Amino acid sequence: MKITIPHIHKIEGEAGFWAKVTKTGKIEELKFQTLLGLRQIEGILIGRRYFEAPIVVSRICGICPVPHILASCTALEKALDIKISEQTVLLRKLLLAANIIDSHTLHLFFLSLPDFFNIENDLALLKKFKKESKAALRIREIAEEITKIVGGRVVHPITPIVGGFSRLPEKERFKKILKKISFAINDAVFLVDTFKKINYPDFERKTLFATVFNNKDYPFYLERIIKISEEKFTVGDFYSTKIEEDLKNPPTKKVKFKGRPYMVGAIARINNNGKFLEGIAKEKLEEFKKENKISEEAFFKNTFFNLFSQAIEVLNFLEISKNLIKEILKFPLKEEKPEIKFKPASGLSVLEAPRGILFHYYEIDKDGRIFNCNIITPTAQFLYNLEEDLKVLLPNVLNLGKKDQIRKIRSLIRVYDPCISCATH
Amino acid sequence: MKKPKVAFFSLTSCEGCQFVLLDLGKKFFDFLRKVKLIDFSLIEEAPFPKGKIEIDVSFVEGLAIKKEEIKLLKKIRKESKILVTIGNCATLGGIPEMKNYQGKERTIRYIFKRLDGVLNPEIKEVDNFVKVDFAIPGCPINGEEFLKYANQLIKGKISEIPQKPVCTQCLHQGKESCFLRKREPCLGPISLAGCKAVCPINGILCYGCRGIIKKASPKGFLETLKKFKKPEEIEDNLEIFGIRDHLEKLKAL
Repeated sequence: MKITIPHIHKIEGEAGFWAKVTKTGKIEELKFQTLLGLRQIEGILIGRRYFEAPIVVSRICGICPVPHILASCTALEKALDIKISEQTVLLRKLLLAANIIDSHTLHLFFLSLPDFFNIENDLALLKKFKKESKAALRIREIAEEITKIVGGRVVHPITPIVGGFSRLPEKERFKKILKKISFAINDAVFLVDTFKKINYPDFERKTLFATVFNNKDYPFYLERIIKISEEKFTVGDFYSTKIEEDLKNPPTKKVKFKGRPYMVGAIARINNNGKFLEGIAKEKLEEFKKENKISEEAFFKNTFFNLFSQAIEVLNFLEISKNLIKEILKFPLKEEKPEIKFKPASGLSVLEAPRGILFHYYEIDKDGRIFNCNIITPTAQFLYNLEEDLKVLLPNVLNLGKKDQIRKIRSLIRVYDPCISCATH
Repeated sequence: MKKPKVAFFSLTSCEGCQFVLLDLGKKFFDFLRKVKLIDFSLIEEAPFPKGKIEIDVSFVEGLAIKKEEIKLLKKIRKESKILVTIGNCATLGGIPEMKNYQGKERTIRYIFKRLDGVLNPEIKEVDNFVKVDFAIPGCPINGEEFLKYANQLIKGKISEIPQKPVCTQCLHQGKESCFLRKREPCLGPISLAGCKAVCPINGILCYGCRGIIKKASPKGFLETLKKFKKPEEIEDNLEIFGIRDHLEKLKAL
């Protein structure tokens, strides 16, 4: 039997699904594949000037340009030995937190929620879930306002550059945001409660979770350690010797850890760093597990809970944003222009993008031109994991009608929130 | 009155222009209520219909790189009364067009080891494959500008974007803070306004992502810029958003 979904709608980018299963339920072939052409972003950067990198890599993805911009700036700063100020770190963290909120909310509400109510069109969703959609739109609005204040624009922010920012935000605008953010937190609690009530499918498969780690807070930017399962590695060690990129199947890269598939993103972060969630986010997570009698172990074996994890993170990153803004308001923001001296060098960076850890690596020459570049996106890292999950799901849907089969497969793919533009750059 | 039929298509791209539309929030959903939505894969499940559809306005984002995308583009043209490109990629080639200037055979070699089955064509804008009736440029597009023209287009009206330079919307125009006064090669004077000069206002040079204004005589201006910086640097700047080939056609380089 063949199961095909030629074009899966409502994911970032365009992709399809193909599987071939025998009568006894044995999977002979299973593919989740991009429909996009290769833009060759890494190749394009070869020979270009260092400061073009953030402009170019932003265009890898329209929903998560921020992590690409920040990862490229950070890697190039490492290469050029540029020390960034505390002011820059705070503003960048705020920008990244806002992007995670924005991307998660879009995915939760507009892309994934309709799957659980058999709604095929977001306009119908807006009608059926009036109150919820207003809350989701308000959360996105505040995240986008923060992005605009700090980055100058929502899609492809302008101000973050190697060394800091090309223009600093006006403090007055932050004060207004601070007032609105408590309302957004209420909206997020409401959104979490909406996702609490969803009928999550039963699913079980144990996997490995990789995230950044510092053992003191919920980390997402400028960390040195990667934690995967109970093992810890320096970022450099993990990137250069613990993971392998499979480059044999262009146009998509696929990554394994010591030959094994692994998971990154919201559920991975909560698995590794859940005890550092902000108060209310942590309470809501515990409440959900308790009310539904889900054990700690069962929660992290069911990928469908990636969705609930994203909802918890929306709440968590709103709290983090609130604290960051308070912190920034204490600072006398001042113009900076770090001196940049070129030398042949290399730099690697990692950060938590909405969908998981993102690596950027650059080598530059004596004139500040890039001569090597490598980008490993979260989606490239979880593609094997997704395929393994699909192999577990598939035998259980074979008895269903064609329409329901496709619906189930699609919904599992969507809870991953795959970003095909990122995976096929 | 029957609602006009509208469709949105995304070819190879970052899909950022579609997100600009979604980020308009209520304003965009209000626009969608005025039309019959035929296709927009980011927000609905229904596949693109196979038979005859007769779309009033199709909006196309991105580049046709794969054969399937070229085929789809031709079908879109056949079915649409008005075809509109949205964004810098579809309109001017965008960031991916940089590889055309570098030697495309070189660029791909840096990424993958085995290349069977990977297409590596020269990057070509949408109007190389089909007739384009209107273009909403920019990387990404400006949401408000989209709504303004989209509302005219669904009534069958095709107008022209006012041919004014980016400087006319720039806060730094005529001031000490203007990049050109500081001998920085900003492309504002020859680039099409409509973006509200969002880059120069945020401290970054204009790289012309909305294209060159008609009737501009960029040759002299570019000569001046080459006195500010090395000529190769100026050429690098023109490659970022795919306008170098247009300037070459205008014999400005």
